[in-house]
Amino acid sequence: MKKVTGSSHRLARMRSKNRSGFNSEQASETSFRLMPVSHFRVFIQCMFCIGTLILGFRLTTESSFLKASFQNPEDPFTRISARTDSSASTGTESQFDLQLRREFANGSKGSRLAYNGTIVHSSGGVRVDVGRHAILIRPWPHPDPFEVLHAHHLIKRVQLEQRQLYGSKESKPIIAITTTFVRTFQAVHLTGLLHTLSVIPVPVTWIVMEAGGVTNETAHFLSLAHVHRLLHLGFDIPMPAGLNERSKLEAQMRVEGLRYVQKEKLEGVVVFADESNIHSLEFFTEAQKVDWVGAVSVGLLGFAGFEESPQSGIVHVHDGRVEARENHILFAARQAAAAPRFEPQVQGPSCDSNGNLIGWHIFDPLPLEGEVHKGMRAAQNRRLEWANFVLNARAVWKTEGNQPEWIRSWDEWANPEDGSTPDIKAIVRSDQWVKVLGNCGRKVLLWWLRAEARADSKHPNKWILDESLEIIVPAKSTPWPRRPVRRAAPPPPAPAGGTGTKHGAGSRVSSGKVRRPKRKQDQTNVS
Amino acid sequence: MVVVFLLLLLMPSSRSATSISVVDRNVVVGEMGEMLQLRKRRRRRRGHVSLLTCVVGFLFLCQVSRLAAAAVLHRHQRISGSAGDVLEDNPVGRLKVFVYELPSKYNKDWLEKDPRCLTHMFAAEEFVHDFLLTSPVRTHNPKEADWFYTPVYTTCDLMPNGLPLPFKSPRIMRSAISYISTHWPYWNRTEGADHFFVVPHDFGACFHYQEEKAIERGVLPLLKHATLVQTFGQNHHVCLKEGSIVVPPYAPPEKMQSRFIPLSTPRSIFVYFRGLFYDVGNDPEGGYYARGARAAVWENFKDNPLFDISTQHPSTYYEDMQRAIFCLCPLGWAPWSPRLVEGVIFGCIPVIIADDIVLPFADAIPWEKIGVFVAEKDVPNLDKILSSISPEQVLEKQRLLANPAMKQAMLFSQPALPGDAFHQILNGLARKLPHDPHIYLEPGQMVLNWTEGPVGDLKPW
Repeated sequence: MKKVTGSSHRLARMRSKNRSGFNSEQASETSFRLMPVSHFRVFIQCMFCIGTLILGFRLTTESSFLKASFQNPEDPFTRISARTDSSASTGTESQFDLQLRREFANGSKGSRLAYNGTIVHSSGGVRVDVGRHAILIRPWPHPDPFEVLHAHHLIKRVQLEQRQLYGSKESKPIIAITTTFVRTFQAVHLTGLLHTLSVIPVPVTWIVMEAGGVTNETAHFLSLAHVHRLLHLGFDIPMPAGLNERSKLEAQMRVEGLRYVQKEKLEGVVVFADESNIHSLEFFTEAQKVDWVGAVSVGLLGFAGFEESPQSGIVHVHDGRVEARENHILFAARQAAAAPRFEPQVQGPSCDSNGNLIGWHIFDPLPLEGEVHKGMRAAQNRRLEWANFVLNARAVWKTEGNQPEWIRSWDEWANPEDGSTPDIKAIVRSDQWVKVLGNCGRKVLLWWLRAEARADSKHPNKWILDESLEIIVPAKSTPWPRRPVRRAAPPPPAPAGGTGTKHGAGSRVSSGKVRRPKRKQDQTNVS
Repeated sequence: MVVVFLLLLLMPSSRSATSISVVDRNVVVGEMGEMLQLRKRRRRRRGHVSLLTCVVGFLFLCQVSRLAAAAVLHRHQRISGSAGDVLEDNPVGRLKVFVYELPSKYNKDWLEKDPRCLTHMFAAEEFVHDFLLTSPVRTHNPKEADWFYTPVYTTCDLMPNGLPLPFKSPRIMRSAISYISTHWPYWNRTEGADHFFVVPHDFGACFHYQEEKAIERGVLPLLKHATLVQTFGQNHHVCLKEGSIVVPPYAPPEKMQSRFIPLSTPRSIFVYFRGLFYDVGNDPEGGYYARGARAAVWENFKDNPLFDISTQHPSTYYEDMQRAIFCLCPLGWAPWSPRLVEGVIFGCIPVIIADDIVLPFADAIPWEKIGVFVAEKDVPNLDKILSSISPEQVLEKQRLLANPAMKQAMLFSQPALPGDAFHQILNGLARKLPHDPHIYLEPGQMVLNWTEGPVGDLKPW
């Protein structure tokens, strides 16, 4: 108890020293008085002790505020103090607040000096400023629109220089063919694709085929696109609910799009930009390299395309850089610090070490719950996605003599006699003429996001609710299967030769809206 | 041919890296006069009009080709620092280094105890040792050595969270120096003036992570005459000795070089920074950490769309740096940071916010031409400063950064490549040769006081 009072005595005395001269004088005077005033003085000191114990540090700051308010105010810009809270930093502080905070800095700095003395100016010409510094905040700490504009000019100039130095020299126009239909997730997918196509530096002709006819909703989305030419064509058959039928209809729609290219004799590179795909801009620069038919690797994201099993059936897709380095002292230590790799599932061409196309990686999804599990999967019809292929527009033109003889003519592959859906791979007579893009298929340039809402999910037009919903019922039992089945036995080992199957293990169940893959194709390995 | 050469010299080129010196111009003007006289003489002779047209046509073609050559975009530019093109000097043959054989308790045992020493940013001391053991500058004969290297790892005593504890480092250093002074005569011959040590800690040989304590301690007294190879560099600071070689902090070269993205990816981020603004554990109010500069950056620019700044460390950190034009390199508790190395490797212009900092290899690399220096008091105007840099200057800086010699000089590459940080250190040592003959003391003459320093340092280790 005595110690506390002793220290608070000291504190009180120091505080009294901090006050204006009059007070300190009085304190020193009182210390010399004798008996008659000592009781009074003791009483005053006890009151101050109790006061400090209750109010704590605030007394120091108040006193230092009083002291500082008699000094000259410094430049308001540089001396605004530490850590402002969010309300003050919006710039609506009053003059008084500004003043207070300014003095706070001086006060706190002053008190720090008194307590810690941390400003070090050592001798010998050394100029070091250690200690608490003010955090400098300008009076209105928000972006200035003119500076933002200058910065954007700078960015544009830098990007132009980059394009000139490192970009591809060719600039063939891109013809993007997309199939769409009005549904819940259309906005999600279409907006992403729209912005991607709008920023490609070459002229883009975007052919959008809509199942179910041209609708205002889709037209509303497409009006935001900045492409060279936009064609919104309707296909009168509505999109079916089943995934197999959907893929068939989409193939037909794409053939219609190609028929348009053929009719108008459009020039450039034809790209099948599905709206559920996420394209990197590099994909479009790689696509420029195609001669007639090119193939790219498509990565898979989303439902059953993401989880991988620890079995060795996974094909590693990484660029063949030699990672191991021999170092006679430090090799073992470095090995221990190596990080685990992420192995995505990829569908696309596969090359041998010389860069020749020898086969295709095809995704083999798990069967879904509730579906009849077919034992002999090898008998299934296996196909690559249309998005895996990139065409020269002239490959679909009708004029004979322009195309090399290993490209099938339009009538041959686009309208097959047996009524089956046209397959884009059938446009070439043999695989050897397909040019593999993207570092021989090792670089994944686009990703297929296999996520889709239920076929019968209702959503308001343009996602605007005119009146509030009365009842909201979560989607529970659906006609669609919910999640894939875990395999009972490990899958058969992959055959040698560079191709393999990829298996997804486990499941991902999401609450609320259930995710469905947009297209489900039963595929096994093909060589 | 002479005429062609003269005209080539005279044609101003807009994007050329070379500059015409004044001396050349005078010579050229003199020769121009001669050339005009030559032409007059030619005109007098008839029948040589055709020759004249040939010459004029040839000159015209040369001029066109010269302009065409000037119009070719230069991808990168040679670095010529204040000392010339010294980044590409080869130190082999210019110096000899003798490596002391210390018992393993000074080096290998630390590594075995904690192999994290090889991956943190202070790993330069281990890699320099590794490099010197197999380098052609190494000599096994100490009599012919110019420099002596002591492989003692003072920054390898790691806490569980990975940060090094510097409390034993002075004792370890003293113990190593007393070992070499008793087993070899070369320390006592010069009291360490031809010895060099690698001390990559926060404040170099002051061996403390807190700046006030480091200043109090000062450079270890025994290292008063030795050359220090350190990462810390600040003008007018106790912990930067005269004649020290400032090196970049260690950044793992393989990790960075495996994460390059294509150069054609457009740089769309204006300013990029990832790191702490307030060190909440040690200085929650702010004001101590980074002298308030990092906190000022946050408070002024946290809502600015041009500034991609955050404390979250993403997994695409290296890729993001390659998509940024400017990368902030503010000071932290110490003024240096691996961000400078990362910015140089990834072509992002470093914006250095640290007053009085001495950057690595400052005598070989012209940092003012490559980076942007902002005073700590100007941090609130950072957006104005950066957006008012002209595009030509920005492109110039990017061209200098694209120079492979520049990137190589910042890396401690495994295995060592010519022009990398190891060779720059050797270049720096070679530039200090030959030694001043006054460093060689008379036998029995003692300059260093072995009992100087805090009492805790004098305990043997």
